[in-house]
Amino acid sequence: MTERERGMLGPSYAWLRQASPIQRLAPYVNPRVVIACVLIAALAFPPIVRNDGDIDAAANALSFAALALGLNIVVGFAGLLDLGYAAFFAIGAYTYGALASYQIQPAWSGFWEPFRWLDLVSRLHQAGGDTVHFQVSFWLMLPISAAVAAFFGVLFGAPTLRLKGDYLAIVTLGFGEIVPIVARNTPAITNGAAGLNGVAAPQLFGWSFGIDATPYYYVGVALVAFLILTSTRLKFSRVGRAWMAIREDEIAAAAMGVNRVRFKLLAFAIGAAFAGATGTLYVAKLQTATPEMFMFPVSVMILVMIVFGGIGSVWGVVVGAVILQILQSWFLEDLSQWLHALGRLIDVAWLQRVELAPSIELIFGTILVFMMLYRRQGLIPAVRAMPALTLAEQTAHVTRIGTGEIAAPAGLGDGERREDPKLLDIAGLTVRFGGLVALRSVALTVPAHGVVAVIGPNGSGKSTLFNAMTGLVPADAGTIRFAGADITRLPPHRVLERGIARTFQNLRLFPSLSVLENVMIGMHARLQTGPVGALLRLPATRREEEEARERAREILRLFGNRLLPRLDHVVSSLSYANRRRVEIARALAARPRLLLLDEPTAGMNPAETLELAEQIKSFNRIGLTIVLIEHKLDVVVNLAERVVVLDHGEKIAEGTPDAVRRDDEVVRAYLGRSAAVA
Amino acid sequence: MTDHAVLLQQIINGLSLGAMYALLAIGFTLVYGILELINFAHFNVFMVGSFVGMWALELLGLSGQSRILTGLPLFGALAFAFIVAMLACGVLGVAIERFALRPLRTVSGTTGMITTIGVSYILFNVILLWAGADAKNYPNPMPAMHWPLGGAVIELRELLIWGIALVLMVGLHLFVSRTRLGKAMRATAQDAEAARMMGVDVDRVVVTAFFLGSALAGAAALIFGLYYNYTSFLIGYTAGLRAFTAAVLGGIGSVTGAMVGGIIIGLVETLGGQLIAVRWTDVIIFSILVLVLVFAPAGLMGRAAPTKS
Repeated sequence: MTERERGMLGPSYAWLRQASPIQRLAPYVNPRVVIACVLIAALAFPPIVRNDGDIDAAANALSFAALALGLNIVVGFAGLLDLGYAAFFAIGAYTYGALASYQIQPAWSGFWEPFRWLDLVSRLHQAGGDTVHFQVSFWLMLPISAAVAAFFGVLFGAPTLRLKGDYLAIVTLGFGEIVPIVARNTPAITNGAAGLNGVAAPQLFGWSFGIDATPYYYVGVALVAFLILTSTRLKFSRVGRAWMAIREDEIAAAAMGVNRVRFKLLAFAIGAAFAGATGTLYVAKLQTATPEMFMFPVSVMILVMIVFGGIGSVWGVVVGAVILQILQSWFLEDLSQWLHALGRLIDVAWLQRVELAPSIELIFGTILVFMMLYRRQGLIPAVRAMPALTLAEQTAHVTRIGTGEIAAPAGLGDGERREDPKLLDIAGLTVRFGGLVALRSVALTVPAHGVVAVIGPNGSGKSTLFNAMTGLVPADAGTIRFAGADITRLPPHRVLERGIARTFQNLRLFPSLSVLENVMIGMHARLQTGPVGALLRLPATRREEEEARERAREILRLFGNRLLPRLDHVVSSLSYANRRRVEIARALAARPRLLLLDEPTAGMNPAETLELAEQIKSFNRIGLTIVLIEHKLDVVVNLAERVVVLDHGEKIAEGTPDAVRRDDEVVRAYLGRSAAVA
Repeated sequence: MTDHAVLLQQIINGLSLGAMYALLAIGFTLVYGILELINFAHFNVFMVGSFVGMWALELLGLSGQSRILTGLPLFGALAFAFIVAMLACGVLGVAIERFALRPLRTVSGTTGMITTIGVSYILFNVILLWAGADAKNYPNPMPAMHWPLGGAVIELRELLIWGIALVLMVGLHLFVSRTRLGKAMRATAQDAEAARMMGVDVDRVVVTAFFLGSALAGAAALIFGLYYNYTSFLIGYTAGLRAFTAAVLGGIGSVTGAMVGGIIIGLVETLGGQLIAVRWTDVIIFSILVLVLVFAPAGLMGRAAPTKS
């Protein structure tokens, strides 16, 4: 029972407050213990079961768990729905199959001699002349197949970069269909529809795995364990946060410094690599590969597994894959047998004939529909439930941080004491949308440490100005210079790297991520960790992550006790004003020199507005240069040294707040011609 | 046959297939135009339609190609089968919308599409379990009349298919452009929110789109059966994906585009099979799909690139 509920009980139930130990009983299980138990159970499974058929089914289940983990990277983390994922499974399978079977046999020549020395090929003596036999080791092929699949992941991913949602899914489906057809139609490499034969079994220290399922099972356990580790480490790293940012809001991700192209392709590549390695294992175990093993139904099956387990949830998708595979290979058979027995017992003929196994796809379809309708987060949701705020926290007196208390947290304003009369220098900026001119030859100069307000009626081009400055909208003419460098044609993430961070008029947070995660994504450009660093988690990486977390807390501390108690709350659960604050904190986390605020006080009440205005002032005091779009004139007058007025895309006035307020042109723009005359 | 005549024959065949794909593509385009949803269930609504049409013809005592009808009986039998298949598919489409998709209409992203994949799987497997995996010989009462044309032949079935497709498409066009509900559909496709504020019953528009699109899929399904003389639980996927390509090529959301795209895809299928190789036909068609989506997502007649995320 939470503090809040107890508070609502009132004084007469005060005894319950003492009597209720429920809160202390909240189950805490050390995740390491759980992992150790699962691992021991997995390792002990074959000697306990001893039935080769069951071990075989379990080995297949592990293969599908590995595929589900790979698809989860693409769909769950990066939000790119891939309906042709089985294509990468096929590519990995055929890469191993072709290089470890008698399918491809070029004529022998001296060229192959070094490869024979490396034991990658052998020389076959045949009647029509000697030929080459590929016999690349399974262990070597695991990473090679993964790399080949990753290459195709990038190749197939690249054309989809500009597409969104459903359309991206359809293109991946197209590739997913093309790959098996090409496999069928190029028998020289794949032996066509008949399938590859005699794919070599893996060997370990001279001992061949053969057709016994147990060794494959253990390789599967190792592979899945490795992929779980990889997925988890990536998810809770700079890389994972960048993926989730793209999934939640691509535009905001780019504006916060995430290189969309790189991280989308990285997701495709890593997801494909998982499938490539799995394809190698799968084919080695089966010792054959046919195009039918990789068609659309396989892609859908993997999708059903991750939907069932929980899209984005690492353990969820493993559990989903294992449950559905076991349902398919054991449970339906067993259930049919039981029904037959029941039928014999009660003498019902049709019960004795019922066969449930063929209905597996019907069950898959039903699972897909019902999960979507009633439990989209899956069996084990990716987003954990968070503790509600206690009554004390909810009703706490709001502390505002005084300007004196801001001690340049987390490097804000560092080295910002340089004078630069033209930190931002925009000249002749023109933006057109078709026939509409949104900005016409606008000029704007902002000195370092200045605060400039941009005002103007709705539709006057204020937000377009911000969008053009941050690379979200291309400029048709003119230049934008920042700190002496031309940034006119830079993509959004490069603009952020140069030191310009922004907020959005209509709030573009990453809604299903926590406050902390949102702010940490703001730091993306200031952190280094790449996929390898995230996987290895070396001390340097760990330190960077810990420092980033600490810095995020410090930035949130700027807002007193508004956001700190809500650190792990999903931002979509916050109040509107708090969401605005998170967005500002996220922009500050990028350590900008220039902060662009698009209507920061929109939707706030007068007290909140005052509080925020004070905070913006203090940001300026610690060295930040600020350009803000604002409608509330008292805020403008209070904050800005200079005001720029836009109307119909043109700058109609510029000056001190007082001067602008008296400008006839401005009054006309806001109130119409007659008001100006009067 | 000369090369010339073979090509002509393939063009005739392509037009027939194209008419079928066009009817099927309209269903994708109507739903996408209004909901921005790619409806995978449509694939197998089509497949179910071919079975319903088959059962309707069998109900009339027809089986295989044994019994040939002419004149009014032929017309009556076909009309009966078309009406039954179209009604059944229309109702099925509306049921799918009502029970599987309407609860998710406000959920953004790919949830709706994933749900339609699930529905498609359910339909597919229900028919598989019910009717079995074997291909069914389709009852076809049409006499083997044909007329020579420049070395090629036009069969009665082609004329019937073209005629039926033409009537249905003209009817749809008149419905969309002349009726009150048609105007409401066009308004909703432009801006659902604004249409709702102007008093358009958006639910009714969506139901109408699903009904019309699915009913046309039913007609396409019967055409498939009468053209190929078989049906099976498998036919939905290939035909559906080709028709979807047609809708994308024509510009998804545009009814005229779907018709044009359908004809083009029909011709690509027959001529591509003739000039290159049948086994590469699917690769050609999927390549068209991918290329159009990547480089010209508005298609031939689409309004604009899709913006839904």
